[in-house]
Parts: sequence; structure tokens; C-alpha cells
Amino acid sequence: MTQRATMPMILALLVTTVGFATLIFVQEATSPPLVYGAYYCGVLFAIYLFVRLWLPHSDVLLLPIVTMLTGIGLVMIFRLTYDIENEENLAITQAVWILVGSGAMLFVVMFFRNYHRLFEYKYLLALGGLLFILLTFTPLGYEVHGARRWVDIGPVSFQPSEFGRLALIVFFAGYLAEKRDVMAATSRSFLGVQLPSLKYFGPVAVVWAFSLAILVFEKDLGSSLLFFAVPLLMLYVATGRTAYIILGGLLFSVGSLLAYLAFGHVQVRVRAWLDPWQDPDGEGFQIVQSLFNIADGGILGTGLGAGFSQTIPEVQTDFIFSTIASELGLLGATVVLLAFLIFVYRGIKISLLATDDASKLLAFGLTSMFALQTLIIVGGTTKAIPLTGMTLPFVSYGGSSVVGSFLLTALLLVVSEKAGRRIVEEQEYQERSF
Amino acid sequence: MNAHLRRSFYFFAMGFVVLIGVLAYWQVYARESLADNPANNLQTRKDISAPRGLILAGDGETVLARSEPRETQTGTVYDRSYPEGAPFSNVVGYWSTQYDRTGIEAGENSTLSGAAGDPETLDELINQLSGGPQPGNNVVLTLDPDLQRIAYEGLAESRTGRGSAVAFDPRSGEVLALASYPSFDPNDIDENFPELSEDPDSPLLNRATQALYPPGSTFKVITAAAALEAGVEPGQEFVDDGAYETPGYTVRNYQNKSRGEVTFTQALVFSINVVFAEIGVDIVEPERLDEMAREFGYGDDYEDFPLSVSPSGTGPPPEEWLPGYTAQVAFGQGQVLSNVFEMGLVTAAIANDGEMMEPQIVREIRSPDGVILDRSSPETRREVLPEDTARDLNEMMQAVVSEGNLTQAQLGDVPVAGKTGTAEAPPNSPHSWWISFAPADDPEIAVAVMVENGGIIDVEGDADTPAIPIATEIIAAHLDAEPGPIPQPAPQQPPNQQPQPGQGQQPGPGQQPGQSPGQPPAQPGAPPFGQQQAPFQPQPAQPPGAAPGQQQPGQSPGG
Repeated sequence: MTQRATMPMILALLVTTVGFATLIFVQEATSPPLVYGAYYCGVLFAIYLFVRLWLPHSDVLLLPIVTMLTGIGLVMIFRLTYDIENEENLAITQAVWILVGSGAMLFVVMFFRNYHRLFEYKYLLALGGLLFILLTFTPLGYEVHGARRWVDIGPVSFQPSEFGRLALIVFFAGYLAEKRDVMAATSRSFLGVQLPSLKYFGPVAVVWAFSLAILVFEKDLGSSLLFFAVPLLMLYVATGRTAYIILGGLLFSVGSLLAYLAFGHVQVRVRAWLDPWQDPDGEGFQIVQSLFNIADGGILGTGLGAGFSQTIPEVQTDFIFSTIASELGLLGATVVLLAFLIFVYRGIKISLLATDDASKLLAFGLTSMFALQTLIIVGGTTKAIPLTGMTLPFVSYGGSSVVGSFLLTALLLVVSEKAGRRIVEEQEYQERSF
Repeated sequence: MNAHLRRSFYFFAMGFVVLIGVLAYWQVYARESLADNPANNLQTRKDISAPRGLILAGDGETVLARSEPRETQTGTVYDRSYPEGAPFSNVVGYWSTQYDRTGIEAGENSTLSGAAGDPETLDELINQLSGGPQPGNNVVLTLDPDLQRIAYEGLAESRTGRGSAVAFDPRSGEVLALASYPSFDPNDIDENFPELSEDPDSPLLNRATQALYPPGSTFKVITAAAALEAGVEPGQEFVDDGAYETPGYTVRNYQNKSRGEVTFTQALVFSINVVFAEIGVDIVEPERLDEMAREFGYGDDYEDFPLSVSPSGTGPPPEEWLPGYTAQVAFGQGQVLSNVFEMGLVTAAIANDGEMMEPQIVREIRSPDGVILDRSSPETRREVLPEDTARDLNEMMQAVVSEGNLTQAQLGDVPVAGKTGTAEAPPNSPHSWWISFAPADDPEIAVAVMVENGGIIDVEGDADTPAIPIATEIIAAHLDAEPGPIPQPAPQQPPNQQPQPGQGQQPGPGQQPGQSPGQPPAQPGAPPFGQQQAPFQPQPAQPPGAAPGQQQPGQSPGG
């Protein structure tokens, strides 16, 4: 595991600084209080140092990537909102959420170094996660832009699904590690495809049913898709059975078709994807504006602060990638995508090197959720796939998303620590034996 | 398990690669088509969020167009304003977020908007790199604002109030004035466009460059140039017996007048159609006549000129011309079509000893802080005529003014050359044309003026040419001379006109102004100028589909 990433950390913080300097000195944006910038840089660098001390074998390369992505997010949020009335302080709010997320990460790193304890409570975690998500159906829950995924508990509002799905991934990792051998055993075949035994399929079915419920009642297509796809991928990796993928693909196709036929909001999304030009001022407005801005960026971009992506509704959350593509161009957007890909690469590597099945599946589940979320929302803003409301991890504005992403990183760090320690031990063992 | 983990990673990595491909598709391949999508108003937002450059007249001070800031809820936007209004609008054009743009606003858009193109100064580079606002560059035109106003007002006061005028500096090809009437106020184009576009007088049409009319007898200078090149001497005798017969078509002078023996010069002075028909058919012949017109710029749309120019033309290809049609082309009828822009260039080429300069209307491009980024320099377009041929033609055209006794065209002792035209435009009154340059011995200005349906032929066959006084005023203003008849050559008689101090080009009092040696003096009793037109009879020899004299306006703007 990479144990030193001081230079990447400094570069990541520099990217953020240059971004803010450009906006303040060239675009003449009013500077946010500098103390927030100092907090931001200080806290992230301190966390980096702490993780290196506390988890000396962990993969700290994750941290500069997180720093760079949150930094670019901050710059973009600031750029999009500094001159908008009532939203001038959105970047400061986001900075505060990053600090909260860093705190949450620190908490996990400090108290869950022995994360195997989590697997012992996997059923409890699963139940808790599901109930947590069900909060949105209580009077505390409320709708934003047609999707009921928010819960308001006095001082803060949050999206329970951002945290609930982490709990479910921990559950699946533990459960599949236990049952993978029996689930891989085939009992019958159908049309030449070997069908897996359905005996231990119950929990997966429950979560998939849940995913459907989210689709129907919360109208939250993005979360629904993640709740379906991530367990499917974990199942595939755990059992090595392609049949699960085929089965899942079939279920997904049938489910999508039924959802399309049954629900108006799904039809709207699909229509806006297939032919947004039919109604560029109505249903297609968001995606059409996104494409215009992306195209406007060209290869080098319009320059930070010089684009017009404020025309896109929800630009600082779901569509922040359009701003990046517009103002930093194809080059800048590719850099950001590659940063995501490096994060995914490190996640898979942690999974490859992890010592036991549960750890492998945990690291893989977290990484694949991160990857899918990125692919789905970027694909949505570029009209590669139908749009589903989702945040771009670390970059989009939103407290739940930021804190959830930091927790995800924290879990990857503790898994990597154990994997890294094992490698070091093996090396020492070999050195001793020769 | 590890194999499946790797496979999953390849799947994710492929997803990222596909997304980068999709981005490249939108940002490179489909970029332009998205930018041109009618639903895309980013360009408009961009355009109004940074000030466009100024458009200035040739004095470098008169502001013809500027951007004025206006505060709105979403920030500062810039509106375009045109302080000089209608007299300049056919050149400057308008810039509208609703009705596109025309004129210099369109032709020099990339300069004015400043957003496009490579940075030319360090400031621009810094602004572009940092994404800061990029004010557009300023465009300085060659127009002389006084001449432009004089031309515009002259057209406005003309008999029909429809016409166009152009003035060139023949030595550099710079446009000094380019006026069209009626015009429009570009300041409130957004409100008035629908009405203006329906107006039967087509105020949005730049008559000077976009409309096409039969040039009538002004085309005779081209025929004359071809004839001189073919070996005809200015003093060569021709017989005008009042009619010239071709198979199927007979050219007649008006009321069958005939002047008997005349020189070639006199044929031009009195604009004798019969003689020019004979020269065109028998001496020059179709190919050479058409070739000469093309050398003078017929058939060219002047692509590098920032305003759109409708190409002039001589009708069907010369191989198809029957003698009857060639005869008509020789005096600028048939399907010959042109405008003052082209005829002004013809005049300027003759004035500049046969060297035709590239027409230019943009003198300088300046950065917002005044640094000159680009300056046009005179460019030779073509050596149309050898110098001595051009000089002969120059003298023949001087004779039009002096021998033809065109007092309205005379500028005291400043020698003036010119040629009238009264172009048939049935069923309406003929178009009145006048092309001219002065001082003829060292030309500084070449002018072409046309008043639509402004020519009226009286019972004696003499045409009134309202285009002449407009041109004379323009020339007089440019040369700082007073219009007036040529002083009598008697040396003891003081000239009418005191030469203006500081005008080095003017002939001194001791010189023999206005008269070229070797030319006979003006004949007393002769009509002031001959304007014999072939009356339009049934013309079986004409190519099918020919509608002589029909005005063909170019594409109407904003249509």
C-alpha cells in the first residue's frame, strides 16, 4: 500500500488554492473568509498526517484524491454561487460539511481499526440501514424536486440513503463471505445457464424489493439503481457465477420496462434522454442546457468563471460535472474523471490485497458503489444514459453525500491498513526465512 | 475471487473511458452543431455579457456604434447603440439578439466580439487564459462621415428618394462614402424590424452593394475601354445615321436623331447608342466586351469585402449573345446589371490609370486600449487597362463634362471626368446614373451615384440627371472646391473660382483647367448632353427570359 503521499497532498491543496485565487483575483469574486480556507487545508493535511501515523500500512493515496475532488468541488460551488443572492455562502456550508466528513472519517479510523467487529452485527446493521432509509416515509421525510429522499430532524436535514447503503454493503460483505460457497453451488440449469441455488437468496431479494420500493415511493431512480446493482456485483464477485449477472440483467430489463410503463416520472426521464430536443424548454431543458455548456467548453474550456453553466437547474449538486466540463474543458473533465478512476483503482487494489473474503467484499462493495455512482451521474449529465438524480461523490454540493463519501473512504482505509500490515508481515517472514 | 475483482475493475475502467469518449464527442465533434442549435442562447448571453468594440468612422473620432452597459438582475449586459443613426446604417448594419446582424457588425463580428480568435495582445491573452471579460476590438472604417452624410442627404432630397451613392479614393481603394436611401435607424431595430422588412421601399436593402440595376450608358466606359484596347482611337470617325441594324433588332437613337460624322470621343460625350452598338458588335465583339466587364469586376462578389456584394453581370455567357443582344450590352442594357459599388470601382480603376485597387472599408483594427492591431494597406486588385489607354479614356470622360457642357458636374477650374447613364427600367421611369472622378489630372475621388427611377427624358430627348448634383456635392466637399461652370479659357479673365489655399492638387490660376489639349471646344447649340436611348421595341432577337431593365434586388437582408 502506498504509505507516502505528501507531494500529492500538497498538489491537491494547491489546485484548490489556484482555483480560488483565479476566481477572486480575475473574476473579482468577493473572497470568502480566509479562515475557512486555512481550516480546510489544515484539517485535511492534519488528517493525512494522522492517518499515516495511526494506520501506517494503509493506502494514504486515497487522501490526496479526496482532497483534490473536494477542493475542485469547493471551487466550483463557490464559482457557481458567489454572486447568487441567498446562496453566497454555499461554499462555506460545503467547507463545513467537509470538516464534518473529515471528523466522521477520523472517528471511523480511530474506533473501527478492527472493522471485523462490524460483521458480527451485520443483521443489525442491515435492519438499521433499512429502517433508517424508511425514515423518509415518516412525517419527518420530505420531497425535493419530486424525490422523497430527505429527512428533517430539527437542526439538520439529510438523505438517509447515503448512510443506509453503507450499512447494507457491510451487511452483504459479511453475509456473502459466509455463504459464498453454498451460493456458488449450482443445483439446476435452465437453457444451458447454470442457475444458482435460491436457498440463500433471501437477503438479496429483500434488498432488491427494497430498491423497487425506493423507485416507486421515493421516486429516487439513482438510489434505486445503486441498491440493485451493488449487491448484484458483490454477488458476482463472491460466487464467481456469471449467471447472477445474467439473472440480474434480466430482472433489471423487466423491472425497467415495467417501471417505464407504470410510472410517469420514469417516462419523463427516458423521453428527456431519448430526444431532449423535442422540448428543449420543458422536459429536456436541464439536459439540453447541460450539453450546450459542455459543448461550449471545447477542449480547453471557457476558463474558470467564464462559462454560463448557471443556466442549468441543480448545477451545484447533480450537474456540477457540466460546469467542470464547460469551464475546464475536455482536458479538465478528463483529469477529474481519471482522479475518480484512480480512486476506484486503489479501492479494487485494496480489495485484491485484503486478507479475508469479508474484507475483500467490503472493499469491493464500497468501491463499486463509488464507481457506479460516478459513472451514473456523469453519464446522466452527458446524455450517455438517462438522467437519475445523484450527486458526484466529494464534488457535488450536499452534506449527506460528502459525509457519506468520507465514511466510505474511512472504511477503505481501515481495510487497507489490515491488508498492508499482512503484506509487511509476509515480507518480514520471508526475509527471516531466507 | 481476485479474477472477478479484476474483471469488475476493467468494467468500471471501460465505463470511464466511454464517458471520456462521450465528452470528446460533445466537446469536439458535436461542438459546432450544438453551438448553432436554435435553442442554444449561450452565444447571445456571451455576446451581451462583454462589451463589443466600437465602430468608428475614418476620422477615428465619429462613433458609429458602441456598447452601453445596463445593470440587470443577473449582472451587467451591454446594449448596442448607434449615435449616427440611419445615414450609416447600410454600412454599419445592426446587431440584434433577435434578428441576427448585418453590415460591418456581421462582416467584422469576430473582431468586434473579441470572444473568438487568437489573442493579439498580452492583456487579451491573460484575459483569455483566466476567463476574464474580453471586450471586443475597435474597427475604424475608411468612411468620411461628412461625405457619407452629404451623399445620404443628397439621395434623400432626390426626385424619388430612392438611390445609392459610393465614393472611392481611387489611389487606395478606400471607400469614402457608401450611402443608400431609404435607410433605417439601427437603434430600435428589434421593435421595427418586422415593419421595415415589409416596407415596399426595402429600407433594409443596401442598394449600393446588394441591389442590381441596369447601368445604362455608364457601361459605355467599359465598352469604350474594350474598344480602345481593340485599337479604336479617340479621334476615330464614326457615322451616326440614327439607326444600327442587327438581324432582328435595330438600335435607334431617341426620336431617330442622327449626328452624322462624329469622333469616338464625341460618341461618348453625346452617348450615341448607334455608334456604341456598332463598336460593340463589329469591333469589340461579345467575348472581349464580356472579358473587359469581368476584368473590371463584373461577376465578382468581392468576398474579402466585409459587406455582402451582389455580383454584377452581363447576362448569358458571351458565346450565346446574338448581335442584337451584344448591341444592347454595349450601352448597358439587355441583361446587364450592376450597382454603384461596382460602377464606382470601374470609375476608380479608370481614374487610377487603369490600376484597379482592392476595395477597402476597414482601415484599422484597434484593441480597446488603442493599440493598432491591424492596418489595411492599399492592394492592387488588377491592372485592368494599360496606362495610356486609361489616360485616353480619362480624357474622353473629361470631354463628357466639358464638351457635353454638364455645368452641374463642373467644379470651376478643377477638371472633372464623368459619364451619365439613363437606364431603361420599364414600366417605370429610367434610373439616373452618374459616374465621375476628379481632379481628372490627378484623381483623388471617384464617385458613382444612382437615383432609382430618377431619370426623366423630356420631349426633346434630353434626360435630366439628378444623380449629377449629388455626386458634385460629394466631390466638391472632398476636394474643398466650389461647384461651378468651367471658367472661360481667356487668360485675361479671372477665374470664377479662387483656388482654395492649401489644396496643392488644384491647378493654379495660370493653368488651362478643364480642357484637354487637342479636344475641340464645346459646340454651342448642342444639347447639354446627349442621352439617346434605344426605345424598347419588340426584341425577337433577345435571349428568352430576358427582362430588360428589370431591377433585381439582391437577397433582402434578414429574409
